[in-house]
Amino acid sequence: MTTVIETRDLVRRFGEGETMVTALDHVSVTIEEGEFTAIIGPSGSGKTTLLQLIGGLDEPSEGDVFLSGTNIAHMSGTELSDFRRDHIGFIFQSYNLIPVLSAEENIEYIMLLQGISEKNRKDRVKEMLALVGLEGLGDRRPAQLSGGQQQRVAVARAMASKPDIILADEPTANLDSATGIALLDVMRELNKQMNMTFVFSTHDQKIMDRADRLIHLEDGRIHLDERRTP
Amino acid sequence: MLSLKLAWRNLFRNVRRTVLTCTLISSALIVLILVDGIMLGMVDVMVGGITHTLEGEAQVNKKGFRDNFEAELFLDNPEDIEAALAADELVSGYAPRVIVGGMIASSYNTTGGLVYGVDADAEVGVSKIRDAVYAGSYLTGGKREILIGRLMADLLEVELGDRIIITAAEVDTNEITQELFRVSGLVEFGPDEMDESFAFINLSAAQPLLGMDGHVHQIAIRFADPEDAKNSNLPTLTQLNKGEVEALGWMDLQPAIGGMIEMSNYASAIVGAVLFVLTSLGVINSMFMSIYERIYEFGVAKAIGTTPRHIILLVLFEALFLAMIACAVGLLLGYAASSYFETHGVPMGQFEMSGVVVDGNMYTQVRAYQFVTFPIYVTLLTLLAAIYPAIFASRIVPSRALQRAL
Repeated sequence: MTTVIETRDLVRRFGEGETMVTALDHVSVTIEEGEFTAIIGPSGSGKTTLLQLIGGLDEPSEGDVFLSGTNIAHMSGTELSDFRRDHIGFIFQSYNLIPVLSAEENIEYIMLLQGISEKNRKDRVKEMLALVGLEGLGDRRPAQLSGGQQQRVAVARAMASKPDIILADEPTANLDSATGIALLDVMRELNKQMNMTFVFSTHDQKIMDRADRLIHLEDGRIHLDERRTP
Repeated sequence: MLSLKLAWRNLFRNVRRTVLTCTLISSALIVLILVDGIMLGMVDVMVGGITHTLEGEAQVNKKGFRDNFEAELFLDNPEDIEAALAADELVSGYAPRVIVGGMIASSYNTTGGLVYGVDADAEVGVSKIRDAVYAGSYLTGGKREILIGRLMADLLEVELGDRIIITAAEVDTNEITQELFRVSGLVEFGPDEMDESFAFINLSAAQPLLGMDGHVHQIAIRFADPEDAKNSNLPTLTQLNKGEVEALGWMDLQPAIGGMIEMSNYASAIVGAVLFVLTSLGVINSMFMSIYERIYEFGVAKAIGTTPRHIILLVLFEALFLAMIACAVGLLLGYAASSYFETHGVPMGQFEMSGVVVDGNMYTQVRAYQFVTFPIYVTLLTLLAAIYPAIFASRIVPSRALQRAL
């Protein structure tokens, strides 16, 4: 197994002096390639902060974050942008597609940033739409798609850049139960087929049921790291 | 390409704001075109008022003559000068003149004034004396014909046909000489100074009166292209500048008018600067509103790998499209408005400036550069104003922008 994510003594503090809050307190965790991992815990436990630090969206107060062997903890803004573009796929709770672009264009956008040729972009867009079951809907704008369909486009967008890992924040929170299950099945299938690493931050039992690893956070520390067979 | 598409589509996410911002930018362009056209029209009226009324676009005088109009400072060889001007293709007309200060008396009153002895036919192509005649008739070459200003006629209490005596000093002997004239026409130029103190007689009558047969004091010149008169190094003028003779364009003859033109350029620049500042603030405000509305979206874009450079480009493309739409509208409306006022004039009322009376409408001037240079300025200004919001957007921290979800 290859380690794709490794955090070492990760600390994140917010504020100063008496108002200082420690959101993450010396968290060290290793996630292997192809794992379908859920970070769970009560509100304020540090799930969001850990996901942000793994994704390079925030800078740790102390410690290091290694993604595919590269320490991203202290990269500059532009270096991080490039790194995120090429190595990390994000799926957000509120879909967060660009409303003025069609589903195809939303998926194509990240590949455009990567400098992929037009033909390859178009081919991969078709492939991604097929993977998430949205053939024929590529020319629709987000407002013309259901919540579940929008989140599938977000999954396709996250995978289009062929990232090492996909970070998903509460991806099913805005979906009804059936749609959420269908989406999770799609991601699980992609995980199995392509050996892609997924890390979720979630409260959703459906995700927990499908995860092969549950990292329990409490008060900014890993309370329990549970490997399981879904 | 996708960035351009994205920028273009973003403009229509809030159509009302886009329309308002475009209206602001295009209004600035329209005002710029109009103000410049009006300023050009005003300068044209002022310069035309000075040069076409009586002064001419250039003059040949003996040095020092214009200081006090001393009669003995006449041109020694006017024939040579006239021959040179007649042969010059740049010159459309020239008019020899005798100018002398004298006493002008009627049966009822007396006043001092400046008497011009003019070649009636030649003046038609140089000055507006004929056009200024509002009663009686223009000079025909008769020995006793005289045109006087409206205010002088009031002062002397004379009407057409009444007798007038001009008393002056002969050039050579300084002997007092007098001649009888009959009012053949009344003129009105506008400025009181001219209408109360100028009188015009035929050159053929003035030369014997002053004992200066064959000589003249001044030759006024009109060019085929009025722009030539602004060129101090024009061969027409430099070749005539010999010894005691000086040939000067109106810019040198009337430096105050040159100053006023410069001032009008400053006025245009100030109006432009104020417009630019106001428009910039409007554009900055609009761009910030647009960015704040999409701050979460920018956060997502940055999270998935959009670089600050791409964000800056996106915002600048939006500003560019905004400016292009506004300029297209501004050019159409600006051209329509300027063309209308070029034909119908801007009502300005009556006012006098530097001795030039502007009465009625000020006609704008439509120039090609107004529709090329100004839109470029406005577009550059819009882009300049968008730089600050663009940099702000590029510095959005994804983790903060995404706080709502993550």
